Amino acid sequence: MTSVHPNSTTTTRFARRFLISLSRMRRPITLGPPSDEEVCRRTRRIKLAAYSSMARAVGSRRAWSRALLLKVRNRVRFQGILRNRFLASKKKRVIKRNKASGEMNKTDMLRKLVPGGETMDICGLLEETAHYMASLATQVKVMQSIVDQYSK
Amino acid sequence: MGGNGDNNDGKAFQNGGQSVINCQSSGMRGNPFFAPAWDPVVSMSQHENFGGSSMVSQSEFTNSPYPVVMENQGNSTTSHLVHYPSDSSYAELMPKFPSYGSGSFSEMVCSFGLTECSQIANTGCHLNYSSNKEANVERTITNCVESQEDRQLTEEPIIGATPDGKRRKRVAESNSPFDPNKNAEGELQKDPSGHSSEVQKEQDEKKPRTEQNTAANLRGKQAAKQAKDNSHSGEAPNENYIHVRARRGQATNSHSLAERVRREKISERMRLLQELVPGCNKITGKAVMLDEIINYVQSLQQQVEFLSMKLATVNPELSHDIERILSKDILHSRGSNAALMGFSPGMNAHPYSHGIFPANIPIIPNTNPQFPPVPHAALDHDLQSLFQMGFDSSSAIDSLGANGRLKPEL
Repeated sequence: MTSVHPNSTTTTRFARRFLISLSRMRRPITLGPPSDEEVCRRTRRIKLAAYSSMARAVGSRRAWSRALLLKVRNRVRFQGILRNRFLASKKKRVIKRNKASGEMNKTDMLRKLVPGGETMDICGLLEETAHYMASLATQVKVMQSIVDQYSK
Repeated sequence: MGGNGDNNDGKAFQNGGQSVINCQSSGMRGNPFFAPAWDPVVSMSQHENFGGSSMVSQSEFTNSPYPVVMENQGNSTTSHLVHYPSDSSYAELMPKFPSYGSGSFSEMVCSFGLTECSQIANTGCHLNYSSNKEANVERTITNCVESQEDRQLTEEPIIGATPDGKRRKRVAESNSPFDPNKNAEGELQKDPSGHSSEVQKEQDEKKPRTEQNTAANLRGKQAAKQAKDNSHSGEAPNENYIHVRARRGQATNSHSLAERVRREKISERMRLLQELVPGCNKITGKAVMLDEIINYVQSLQQQVEFLSMKLATVNPELSHDIERILSKDILHSRGSNAALMGFSPGMNAHPYSHGIFPANIPIIPNTNPQFPPVPHAALDHDLQSLFQMGFDSSSAIDSLGANGRLKPEL
């Protein structure tokens, strides 16, 4: 699916993937306006498609993209039953170590936000946050312009 | 924007072309003679190809390094050529050796196949020439080239290195004691002139050479900062260990040194983040900065959620060619951002665009009649309440009926 064009940036890769996955989710117009539940379902699917397109466009270079793809894969295939055991045990150890302070400080909140952030130290966490923030901004920009396109 | 991720990886190679130009413009003139000691240094690092020959030659490394240098070059020429991409410049390096005394060391070092390491090499080689200790100089060169080798191995980009001082830094792989064998070999052969005891101490405790430090390192604090600048922006996992010099008036305990390195790394990352989050230029302090970062990430995730909801309701006319949309996308992204800035009725404005943070966080999505009608009135109301309540994320998201969660559902 990944068409390797010259001068392909993360932005174009993400946009391409996302548009392709959006095109798969079309629904026939004859059904009329979608119901609420359907909107919710589609929202979730589109959101998932957006995040996984972004992670795939970024590739495996980044810890957060790897963690995100792993989560998506586990969710899609095994519905959360099968988990990466090593990561789970490491996660428990790290969380125990981090919770030694008692309350939930900002670092823990950041860990929750960034995918894969539970098992990282502060240094790696900050770096992954920076990259994740940049990718999120790209994602928002592309999605915004797609919405622009469709509503013109 | 999406090129950010690409830049980090590509920058290393882009600097390579500039290496010679950078070196020569940095103006190292009138330097005393000292040998490029990258052979033994390289043997210290993880580079396994520079094993035997360089070590042997290092034993003669006393007061006449120059012939030894030639020998080094002769022994390990091929291996050097293998690993330094600019082979042609290496060939032109050879005739420069006789003119060594005229201070062409910079040219030698720089033309000797520096790729992305050029700036680091400059920094390491810009020694305090007021210092007369040759051992100092040797060690610094070794350090300089050590870092050079590391950079080549890891291919990380260089944060702008400015020349000064004798500082260089490499990152500990795991903050555990070094492999003593490797260090003993490299360090001892690096300093045959009798500093072995110190070397032992350093390798055991990461203790800096404080006597030389205070004597020779006149600009301690600046050098520390530049050494920090020299370190990688992102640490590759296969780096060795840190050599840190204590600054003047600072504790030289190994633990505090390690802590200081760690703190500097963290503050460097925070600075990077500060540039990414719009409107955070004036914030000093980690706590406030972390708050801002968390808010920003949360708002971005909420925007993704909101946009995916809009995409779900919009019935796409997918007769359009994807390529056409894509090209329009990229072309229009700048234009649409400009339109968004003025809160045009066309679309939502990005709350964090162009530094108008944090005043414009609430987006009013439903004031625009052109919007595709969101099917449920309650959903409209939820959205409105979300954005009109301002950026109170937890409560606002909870009021949002459909996907009432703070963290995106992944």
